[in-house]
Amino acid sequence: MALSADSMRCGEFRTSYRADTTIFPTPMSRNFAIAGVLVLVLAPLFLNAYYLNLLIQIGYYGIAALGLNILVGFSGQISLGHAAFFGFGAFASAWLNNTTGLPVILCIPLAGVMTTAVGMIVGVPAARIKGLYLAIATLAAQFILEDFFNRAAWFTGGSSGALADPMSLFGYTFSTDQSYFYLVLAFVVVMYLLGANLLRSRDGRAFVAVRDHYLSAEIMGINLTKYRILAFGVSSFYAGIGGALFAHYLGFVSAEGFTILLSIQFLGMIIIGGLGSVMGTLMGTAFMVLLPEVMDGTAGVVSQFFPGFSQGLAYLKEMAVGLAIVLFLIFEPDGLAHRWKLIKAYWKLYPFSY
Amino acid sequence: MMRSMTLAITAAAAVGLASGVAAAEPIHVGHLAAYTGPTSAVGKVYGQGIEDAMAYINEQGGIDGRTLERHTVDYSYEAPRAIAAYKQWTSSYDPPVIQGWGTADTEALVRFVARDKIVYMSASYSGHLTDPTGKSEHTKSAAPYNFFYGPSYTDGCRAMVSWAKDDWESKGGEGKPKWVHMGDNHPYPNAPKAACTEYAKNQGFEVLNPIVYSLSPGDFKAQCLSLKESGADYAYLANTSGSNISLLKACDTVGTDVQFVSNVWGFDELAAPAAGKAGDGIVFPVGAAQWGADVPGMKTIEAISEMSGGGERALHYMRGVCSVYFMRDAMEMAAEDGEITGPNVKAALESMSDHVPEGMEGVCLPHTWTPENHRGTTQVMVYQNHWKGDGDFSLEKLTTVDLPRREDWLGW
Repeated sequence: MALSADSMRCGEFRTSYRADTTIFPTPMSRNFAIAGVLVLVLAPLFLNAYYLNLLIQIGYYGIAALGLNILVGFSGQISLGHAAFFGFGAFASAWLNNTTGLPVILCIPLAGVMTTAVGMIVGVPAARIKGLYLAIATLAAQFILEDFFNRAAWFTGGSSGALADPMSLFGYTFSTDQSYFYLVLAFVVVMYLLGANLLRSRDGRAFVAVRDHYLSAEIMGINLTKYRILAFGVSSFYAGIGGALFAHYLGFVSAEGFTILLSIQFLGMIIIGGLGSVMGTLMGTAFMVLLPEVMDGTAGVVSQFFPGFSQGLAYLKEMAVGLAIVLFLIFEPDGLAHRWKLIKAYWKLYPFSY
Repeated sequence: MMRSMTLAITAAAAVGLASGVAAAEPIHVGHLAAYTGPTSAVGKVYGQGIEDAMAYINEQGGIDGRTLERHTVDYSYEAPRAIAAYKQWTSSYDPPVIQGWGTADTEALVRFVARDKIVYMSASYSGHLTDPTGKSEHTKSAAPYNFFYGPSYTDGCRAMVSWAKDDWESKGGEGKPKWVHMGDNHPYPNAPKAACTEYAKNQGFEVLNPIVYSLSPGDFKAQCLSLKESGADYAYLANTSGSNISLLKACDTVGTDVQFVSNVWGFDELAAPAAGKAGDGIVFPVGAAQWGADVPGMKTIEAISEMSGGGERALHYMRGVCSVYFMRDAMEMAAEDGEITGPNVKAALESMSDHVPEGMEGVCLPHTWTPENHRGTTQVMVYQNHWKGDGDFSLEKLTTVDLPRREDWLGW
C-alpha cells in the first residue's frame, strides 16, 4: 500500500525545499487548522458574550503578540515598548476615522501602516545596539509614546482619551460581541497566515539568520541594518493592527491602558507560548488571557470554604501571572508550543515511545 | 377528564409560579467602584456608602416589591476597564441605572449611555455632565442620561473662589490676590480648570500657571517649591485626598505660605489626621451633612452604616448614600407610572424640584433636575479643617455659598 498524503507519517519524507517550507508542516495540521477555524465560526451560536469577549481578547492580543514574536523570537531582538505601539495603532485608527471619516475597515490597516513608520523610527537604534542596551532604548520609546498620548490632544484627545466608532460595512454595524468576533477572527486568520508565510520567505529566513549568528549572516550578504529595522517595522505593523481592533471593539481609547505592564505581558505571552513559534504565540496569548479568569473561578470556589479569600484575589491574580512566567522559564523554556509537540509525538509513537 | 384537570392545574401552577418569579425579578444596578488605584482613599468610603444604602433599601422591602441587585466592579480607576465592565453589564443584565465613579470613564461613557438609554449616576461631578441637550457652547457632547448628586466640581471651585475673595478682603489684603490651579493632567482634575479659572479672573484674581502633581501619592517637594516661588495666595488642589495629603506634607516641609483650598474629594475626616499640622486651615466644599450632624436624616444614615459594621463614616459616605436614595425615589416614581426603565427613571429625576429623599432630611441637599438642566444643586457648603494637635481636629462649617443658576454656566 502506497503512503497517501493524508495518512499519518512515521518520519520525515521531504525531498524538496518546497516541501520543507510549507505553511503547515503536514496535511493533517492544515486540516486541523481549517477545522479549528470552522469550529470558531460556529462559536458565536453557542457561546455567550462573556466567552466571546475572551476569544476577542485572545484575537487582538494574539495579533500583537505575533508581531513581538517576529521581533524577539525570529529576529533575536528585544522590545519593551510593544504596548506603546499597540496603543499607537489604537489611537491612529480612531484619529483617522474621526478626522477623515474613512471607513473603519480601511482605518485599521492604515493605522497598521502608521504604526510601522513609528516602529521603524524607534528601531533605528537597533542597527547599532543589541541586548540589554536595545531593551533600554525601546523602554525609552515606551515612555516617550505614553507621554505623547497624554499630551497630543489633537491626535489622542489628551488625557480624556478618544472615542472610536464601531466598524460598519455596507450599513451593517459590528457593535455586538457576536459580529465583532467574526471581524477579529478574519483578521487573526489573515495575519497569522501572513506571519507564517513571511517566515518561509527570503526576508523571514534573513531574520532567523540574523538571530542565530549576526556575524555569519552579514558575511553571507545579509544587510543587518535593513533586517533589524525591518523586523521592528513588521512587529509594529502587527501591534498597530491589534491595537486598532482593540480600539474599535472597546469604542474608547485612553493612554492608561498602554503602560509598560502591558509590554511585559506581551513578552510573557510569547515566552509562555514559545519564542519563535507562530502557533505558540496564539497558545501563549490564550494562556495569559484565560489565566486570570480561571484564577477568578478557582478563587470563587475556594472562598466558599475559606471566606475572606476573595479579598486577596486582586493580588493573587497578579502573582499568578508572575509565577506562571517563572515556572515556564524553569520547566518549559521552549513554551507551550514545545509541550504541544511532545504531546503529539507521544500519541504518534504510542505505545513505542521510548 | 382527570388527566386534563391535572394538566390544567399544573399549567395554572406553572403560570402562577412564573408570574411570581416575574414579580420578584430583581432590579439590576451596575456599580463601578475604585477600591484600588489612585483614587481608592475616597473610593472605598463612597463605594461603601453605595453598597450599604442598597443593602438597607433591600432590607426595608426593596423598590416596588423588587430588590436591588448590585453588580460591583472594581476598576482601579482605569477607564478602559470601566468600558469593559459597562459592556459586560449591558450584555448580561441590561441595568436601568448604573452608579459610576470617575470623570475619565464617565465622560467616555456619555455617548454609550445615551445610546443605550441607561441612567448613569456618577461620582464624577464634572460640569461637562450638566448639559443634557448640548446647547451650551462649552459642551463637547450632550449628556442626556448623566446625573450626579451634589454641586459640580466647577461650582465647588467657584465657591472656593468666592470664599477666598471674602477672606482676602476681610484680611485687608492689598492688590490682586493670586490664584493657582494644582492637579494631575487627567480629566478629573482638569474638569473645573477652565471654567473656574475664568470665574476667578472675573472676581478680580490674578491666575497663575497651573502646577501639575500626580493623582498617585508621591514626593511633591518640587511642586511645592514652584508654588512657593510663584507667590500664590490661594492654591486650589484638584486631586483626591491621598495625593493631597502628600502635597500638603511636602509643602509644610518646604514652608509655603499659601491658603490651600480643595475639591470636594480633596479632604475629609480620614485625611485630617494623616495630614496633621500640614492640613491645618485647608478649606473645602462639602456636598452633604457631616457624620453626627443634628439632623433628622442622620438616624437613617446610622442604620445604613450598620449594614457594614456601623460606626463613624467620612463625608463621601453620605454622598454615596444620597446618590442611591435619589435613584430609589426616581425608581419608585418610575414604577408608579409604569416600568423601571432607563428613560422612565430619567424622566422621574427630571421631574424632581427641590427634592429631598424621604429619610434623608437634612443629610442630602435638595436637588432640581430638568430636561434642559442637570445641574442638580447650586448650594455649596464650605468647611475648614482645624488641627488641634495630637490627632485631634475639627471640621468647621464656615458658610454656604449659593451660586446663581446661570444659563451660560451649563456644561462646564
